[in-house]
Amino acid sequence: MRRYLIRRLARTIFALWGISTIVFIVMRLSGDPAVLLLPQEASVEDVRRLRQELGLDEPFPVQYLRFLGNSLRGNFGESFRHKEPAMRLVRLHLWATLELSFAAFCIATVVAVPSGILAAVKPNSLYDHAAMSLALVGQSAPTFWIGIMLILAFGLGLPWFPIGGRGTWKHLVMPAITLGAFAMASIARLTRSAMLEVTRLDYITAARAKGLGEGRIIWRHALKNAAIPIVTIMGLQFGALLGGAVVTETVFSWPGIGRLAIQGIYNRDYPVVQAAVFTAAVFFVGINFVVDLLYTLLDPRIRYE
Amino acid sequence: MLWSSQHRWVRPASLLFTLAWVCGLASWALARDLVIGQGTDVSHLDPHYSTSASDVNVYFNLYDNLVMRDENLNLAPGLAASWKLVDDKTWQFKLREGVVFHNSDPFTAEDVKFSLERAIAENPRTSVYAALNTVERVDILAQDTVNLVTKQPDPLLPTRLSYYGGMMLPRQYFEKVGMEGFRKEPIGTGPIKFVEWKKNEHLVFAANPRYWRPPIPYARVIYKPYPETASRIAALLAGEVDFITAVPPDQVEVIQKSGTAKVEGALYAGFFNYTINVKIPPLDNTLIRQAMHYAIDRQAIVKKLWRGRGVVPNDAYPNVDRIGYDKSKPPFEYDPKKARGLLAKAGYKGQEIKVESAVGYLANDKQLTETVAAMLQDVGINAKVQMLEYSVRAQKLRQKAFEGLMLGDPTSTLLDPDGMWWRLMQPGGLVDYWRHPEWDRLMGEARFLQDPKQRDAHYKQAAKIFLDETPMLIILQPEKTFALKKDLNWKARSDEIVVVYDLRPAK
Repeated sequence: MRRYLIRRLARTIFALWGISTIVFIVMRLSGDPAVLLLPQEASVEDVRRLRQELGLDEPFPVQYLRFLGNSLRGNFGESFRHKEPAMRLVRLHLWATLELSFAAFCIATVVAVPSGILAAVKPNSLYDHAAMSLALVGQSAPTFWIGIMLILAFGLGLPWFPIGGRGTWKHLVMPAITLGAFAMASIARLTRSAMLEVTRLDYITAARAKGLGEGRIIWRHALKNAAIPIVTIMGLQFGALLGGAVVTETVFSWPGIGRLAIQGIYNRDYPVVQAAVFTAAVFFVGINFVVDLLYTLLDPRIRYE
Repeated sequence: MLWSSQHRWVRPASLLFTLAWVCGLASWALARDLVIGQGTDVSHLDPHYSTSASDVNVYFNLYDNLVMRDENLNLAPGLAASWKLVDDKTWQFKLREGVVFHNSDPFTAEDVKFSLERAIAENPRTSVYAALNTVERVDILAQDTVNLVTKQPDPLLPTRLSYYGGMMLPRQYFEKVGMEGFRKEPIGTGPIKFVEWKKNEHLVFAANPRYWRPPIPYARVIYKPYPETASRIAALLAGEVDFITAVPPDQVEVIQKSGTAKVEGALYAGFFNYTINVKIPPLDNTLIRQAMHYAIDRQAIVKKLWRGRGVVPNDAYPNVDRIGYDKSKPPFEYDPKKARGLLAKAGYKGQEIKVESAVGYLANDKQLTETVAAMLQDVGINAKVQMLEYSVRAQKLRQKAFEGLMLGDPTSTLLDPDGMWWRLMQPGGLVDYWRHPEWDRLMGEARFLQDPKQRDAHYKQAAKIFLDETPMLIILQPEKTFALKKDLNWKARSDEIVVVYDLRPAK
């Protein structure tokens, strides 16, 4: 297990280095921040001076090595636009994104897993068709559209929930449902297919022959064996929620890192984008790691050596 | 006896005081908050380091300028009670007495010197440097009198001081807390004072009770970012915010019909136009540029794309300019036949002409560019649309690398031709593609003339050359539209600044 952990850690570091490097290169290829930061009246000389101040006039490898050195110390530089440390900005926005993603994940799981199981228990029933059609809508409707529809229905038509901003639990409801819709749909569909597959196996037939109750068969025997793909998709979806919150955050004016990163991209605010992507990557890799460890708990046959 | 005779007066006085205090508290408690929804959050609160619209909108309320603009955009005394021209290069400003900063420090000539010197500092160079760099030095004559000496005669100096960069900052406080401290807790002399800022969430100000004019009738003024237009409008209609900026023309009807909110707009102090790179053939041919001018059905663009919320221009300057603009000219003509004739005369052989635009940078930019290209094609011009990402456009702008026509929205920042075409098109300017010696002379001279009549004549002559030569394909002067709750009164300004002081509850 220890060797596995070391190997895994090495791979994680490699992944984070790779992601940071890609972001570093892509951002620098995509445009000059000095041009966007200065007002139109600024002269060529002003632009040159600002580039020098921001350290953008140095050769590419020098900039890269400085970036690597600084980021190892957790210093991603100062935001060009906000004039404060990029990592501090990311930290301020991270909590909001975690809150939203976690709420979305809880809603998605609480709705999706039982729905998927019920659909699998009664395949081709009216309930199955209804649940899976709804899941299809959840998976294919753009997040943006779901968000606006919720705003029109429950923000404006029935003024139950606030439309934008963060603060009370009420602020969280609509963005969490919007963000969770896609995950909800995929988890429900996967739970259904995984359960269907397992319930066809011989040991379930044996359990039934033994005269066990249907509830016990489903919850104790079938679900445990169907859990691996479900947990995998849940893990992946949680990571996707973190990274995919951009649209939801924009529609609901949610002050999360997705929005911060998008603003950073528009303004070519390299330090903010690098810090935000790095942080999101850490979470994504971390969640994958937790999921891998969960496998061993769910299926004792899985061992990491 | 509970009250001795010598303290007898205390009782009614204290009662009165308590009553006054309670009334004051009640009126404060009853005062509503004013919530303003903008498209983006403020980037920071240092007025010398940003000129973006959403930032400037806040600066103009947190800080004051020496010279202000009233509701009709006429220059009015701000922190300067009066000003006069002492000699060709010296403007003298008499400061308003009794003005204090939010921390109770008095506002003095020292603050004026500090603020302007910081704005025009060479190193580090501020974002407002170019707007104020006509100033050579600031001389303090007395605690309430300063002389601003300019490098050349500058008839527009009071106007420049009324715009961004001209905000007055507290010298003493700044020296005490430094730039970092100031940016964390900025103070000015404006009608609102800083309380709290949670980035991308809300920016909260309280009414300044010691403002030099009567305080605003709100307990707090809160700015909230709503990046998505549909959400911003929904927030207004649901009563979550009182006021929103950047309403697209196609949403006006929805707001008007709501019964709870209304729309206010003012013509933009500038144009939507296409800069022509006259160095690229066949755009170097004046006849072809003139043909493009006549090929555009501007009336249709205003009516269909802007739903009537805009006007067809009639001169080289927008109709908000205080000098040079001639309102007697007829609106630009649409004459496709004439356009075809000019193309034939020019010997146009169907060379490709690129029509470029950023997407989502300006209202209707994509639709406008497609429409303009289609109109050019209708008269036989081989126009090709090229859409760009905003930053790519910014890069091309800076490198002077426009490939044909490029959509832009030049603003007449000073409501004066000097603040628009000369600022942008002067030699070395941002869109320096076209040169005409006589136009250069007229525009170059006019900016230093202290006699308004002479300046006006210069600009009118320059306009004639400009319209004949067509270095810009001017399309329209759109309306900039805002929306607010029906129980508020406000008049939109062409400079797009939302001055909280002018935003009043309807009686």
